[in-house]
Amino acid sequence: METAALASTGRIVTGDDILAMVAAATTPGTTPAERPPVAPPAPPRPADGGDRMRRAIAATMARAWTEVPHYHAAMRIDVGATIAHLAVRNEGVPPARRVLAAAVFLRAAALALRAVPELCGWWRNGAFVPGDGIHVATVVALRRGGLLAPVVRDAADKDLDAIMADLRDLVTRARNGRLRASEVDGATFTVTDLGETGADSLSPIIHPPQVAILGLGAVRPEPWATADGLLGVRPVLHATLAGDHRATDGRIGSRYLLALSDRLQEVDW
Amino acid sequence: MTTALDAVTAALSSVAPDGDLSRLDDDLYEELGLDSMDLLNLAAAIAECTGVEIAERDYGELRTLRAVAESVAARQH
Repeated sequence: METAALASTGRIVTGDDILAMVAAATTPGTTPAERPPVAPPAPPRPADGGDRMRRAIAATMARAWTEVPHYHAAMRIDVGATIAHLAVRNEGVPPARRVLAAAVFLRAAALALRAVPELCGWWRNGAFVPGDGIHVATVVALRRGGLLAPVVRDAADKDLDAIMADLRDLVTRARNGRLRASEVDGATFTVTDLGETGADSLSPIIHPPQVAILGLGAVRPEPWATADGLLGVRPVLHATLAGDHRATDGRIGSRYLLALSDRLQEVDW
Repeated sequence: MTTALDAVTAALSSVAPDGDLSRLDDDLYEELGLDSMDLLNLAAAIAECTGVEIAERDYGELRTLRAVAESVAARQH
C-alpha cells in the first residue's frame, strides 16, 4: 500500500482511510492492458463500517488466494523453556510491565528472519525484492469482526520490552480505531497468532506483496518424545509457515521454522 | 465489594468499551471475547485505580466480572 503521502501528513487516520487504501491497493488492472474489458459495476456503498472492512478483507484475500501459489510447512515447537522463563520474569512485576508470550513469539519470528532473509520482503513485478528491514505485521482481530495488521518496525533490533510495548500500543489502538496509516504500511513479513483461546494451528494466507506469513496456534500441553526416547508432556506451539512458491520453496520454509524453534529455545531475555 | 465492583467495571469498560457489562456472571472470554492482551490491560487498569496487582498465576480466577471484583475486594483487605 502506498500510504506515504497520507502518512506524512501525520494526522490520525480512520479505519475508513485504511480500508480505502486496502481497496485501492487490491483493485486489479492498474495498466490498460490488465484492465478487464468491461468495468465491473461499482459496488454499492455499504453503510456499515464492519461491512466495508469485510469487503476490503475479501478483496485482499481473494487476490492472495488466486494469485499467490502457497506452500505450507509446519512444525511443533516445545516452548516449555519460554513459558517457564516468562512466568518467572512476570512474577512480582506490575501488570503494565508484564510480557505476553505473543511478544516472545514475535521477537523470535523476527530474529529467525535474519537467518532466512529470503522470506522477508515483497514479490514485485515477477521478482523477489528484499525488504528494507524486518518489519513484522501482527494480525489483530477486532471485537466486532474484521482484522487489522499493524507493523512492529525493525522488530529484530528491539529487545523484548520494546516489542511488548509496541504490541500493546498497536493492538490497543487497532481496537480503538486509532492507528495511523503509516502503522499498517510497509510490512515485510506477517505473524498471525491465535493466542491462548485459539485453535491448535492454522494455515495462514499470505498478505501480498509479502512472500510469507507465520501462523501460530494456542500453546497447549501435548505428548512429546524426549531426547532419551521417553514420552513427556510439554507446552507445544504449532507453527505453520506459508510461503509464496514463486519466491521460495518448501526447504526455505522448513529452514525458517528450524530457526524459529532455535530462537525459542534461547531464553536470553 | 461495591467499590471493587465499580472499579473493576470501569477498568473493564476501558478494555472492552463495547461489551455488555451488566451481567456479572458472564464468562469474560466467551461473552466479551477477551484475550491475553485484554487481560493484561484489565489487570493494569485495576492496579492503577485500586492499587491491587493481580498476579499472573491468578489470572485463571478471573472468569467473570463478579470473580474479578471479589478477587480485588479480597486483596484490598
